[in-house]
Amino acid sequence: MIGQTSKLCDLKAISPWQRLLVLAMATFTIAPFAPLIIQSLAFRWAWPNILPTVWWHEQRERSPFPLAWDYVFSPSSRVGEATLNTLGIGIAVTLLCLLICLPAARVLAQRNFRGKNQLEFLIALPLLLPEAAIGIALLMIFIALGLAGTYAGVIVVHLIPTIPYMVRMLTAVYQGHGTEAEDHARVLGANRRQIFFRVTLPMILPGVIAGCLFTFLVSTNLFLLTFFIGQGQIITLPTLLFAKISGGALDATGAGIALIASIPGIILLIFTDRFIRNYPLAE
Amino acid sequence: MTAKAREEGTVNFYYWGGSDIINLWVDQVATPALAAEGVRVNPVRITATKDTVDVVIAELAAGRGEEQGSVDLVWVNGENFYSLKQQNALWGAFANRLPNSVNFEWDENDPRSLLNLRDFGVETGFQEMPWSGEQYVCSVNRAHVSAENTPATFAQLKTYLEANPGKFTYVKPPHYLGNTFVQSVLYAHNPDGTGAEPYQKNFEELGGAELARLMEPGIEYLKSIEPLLLGGASGKPRYPENSGELDNLFLNSEVHFNCKFGVFGNHNGLITGAYPEQAEEMIFPAGNMIKNKNYLAVPLNSPHPAAALVAINYFSSAEAQASKLKTAGMPVGLDLWRLSDEESAEIEASAPPHYGVTQQQLDDNIAPDTNASLVDVIEATWLAVIERKEDKPLADIVAQVSGELNN
Repeated sequence: MIGQTSKLCDLKAISPWQRLLVLAMATFTIAPFAPLIIQSLAFRWAWPNILPTVWWHEQRERSPFPLAWDYVFSPSSRVGEATLNTLGIGIAVTLLCLLICLPAARVLAQRNFRGKNQLEFLIALPLLLPEAAIGIALLMIFIALGLAGTYAGVIVVHLIPTIPYMVRMLTAVYQGHGTEAEDHARVLGANRRQIFFRVTLPMILPGVIAGCLFTFLVSTNLFLLTFFIGQGQIITLPTLLFAKISGGALDATGAGIALIASIPGIILLIFTDRFIRNYPLAE
Repeated sequence: MTAKAREEGTVNFYYWGGSDIINLWVDQVATPALAAEGVRVNPVRITATKDTVDVVIAELAAGRGEEQGSVDLVWVNGENFYSLKQQNALWGAFANRLPNSVNFEWDENDPRSLLNLRDFGVETGFQEMPWSGEQYVCSVNRAHVSAENTPATFAQLKTYLEANPGKFTYVKPPHYLGNTFVQSVLYAHNPDGTGAEPYQKNFEELGGAELARLMEPGIEYLKSIEPLLLGGASGKPRYPENSGELDNLFLNSEVHFNCKFGVFGNHNGLITGAYPEQAEEMIFPAGNMIKNKNYLAVPLNSPHPAAALVAINYFSSAEAQASKLKTAGMPVGLDLWRLSDEESAEIEASAPPHYGVTQQQLDDNIAPDTNASLVDVIEATWLAVIERKEDKPLADIVAQVSGELNN
């Protein structure tokens, strides 16, 4: 209750202009979902009709094959398998990425050494290269390594575009906290393990969560690298969606798959937002 | 071979996965039927066949030779087959040696064998098996166009567009649907009146100067209708990039016609809601409705070639083709005169309905595809003349683009 009233007060405290901007932002964020939801429930939706002329439920009995959500939830759509793959790969990539980036970011944030600026630039390079340009070359390397068409291969290739994000975010987080608290703990006799789990991690946890969220979202949205390295055999929600919309039009099943593909991200966003807001150490 | 296929167990079948009804047929009909023969189908749905061709060629380049690749079976035709063939990426000749090969005409003295032996003019070398025979068919939206006003020739189309500007467009070459439209225009405007005939020769045989002479009236026609196409009035004609985009324009009544490969495209559009309610097929352009086939091929490095052949044999059976026709709306790739009476009766009974035309009318207006070596030159000429508006004599443009293509 207290939380809610204070939120209401916040809303009143901002100026009408700011309120308008918040409204515009909410519209831009939510609006794209409305036509997607309508399309997923439509059978025939033609311009200039604001709503479909024939809805999915009206056509359902007459159709010789499963339409719209019936197709999305049928085994033929392979949405279930793709969702499991997407989540599994996303979680594995996030954890591996964190494992690699935590020590790297700490060094980049707290130590000075020759070539540090150049190294930071090098780490950002994969963000500048379009995946289309490197896909085939990477595939040849992965074939030689025996990783093509395997989950391990897809997870490794997802690390390429995710590590730069994670390193950048964690470096900023480490820089924001300095080393004083850790020094105090060391002086008081804590060992390295205790320092990390009792002092460092609780301090940087909101940043780590935010970095993980971005890594997970990037991984779950990668299409081209997943397709090339997975050789089309490892299907994820993006590869499924691309196969659906390659014809150039988004039909009811395409809209349904697009909505399902956005669910993990939405749940995670809500979860992490709450976590970070309620975190005791949050400033 | 069936014993070896059982031993291999799986067939990785790569095919364009953009159609729900084809996916359902593969899952609900083909997969259980092949499981009964001891072969598990692993359907890999792809966005573009070219991506799969790239994967096969990359694997071969990385030293993954026979039985070491990932693709067993791929649905191809035209330039993707040509790429695989040029790169020596195809498994051996099999198409005339399977039990169900009897369902196809292989005798080259019989002109009806043409589409089994040549894919866009490229010799198939029995390295791919016909799967489906498609025809370039246009649909018309009867909500806007009456039967009397429906064009049957390109001249009538122009008259219609003069009265209703902007209500037609075609998919942009180099997409194969755009190339096919341009080819049918060229056939119809052949100055000798011999239609598709000279376009069966390859470029070397025909010669650039002769090709330019044959193309001139057709290209003039394409230039003349540009201002009458969708968006043409404002000087920026809009050519959709693919059939999905054109379907949308058709559904939204921005255009009144929709031309694509699909003998049952109209039916499929109606049952999936992609076409407007009053869509009907039309006979256009009369006598020049291009027909070709698409095929199933096995890459050289297929890890389960025996299983792939068992699958192809199943796909070539009258029974599989009849159910594919019925549930997926894909025309048969078999040659009906090779089948028993019962089999052809079964296939006839499985055919989805036509709307406003009959199968006989479609068959009466068939034209052959253009030789693959000419397709490239025609496509490059379209891009030079229509897209880049190069203002040079056509013979010079043809000479220039064919020179660039050969280097």
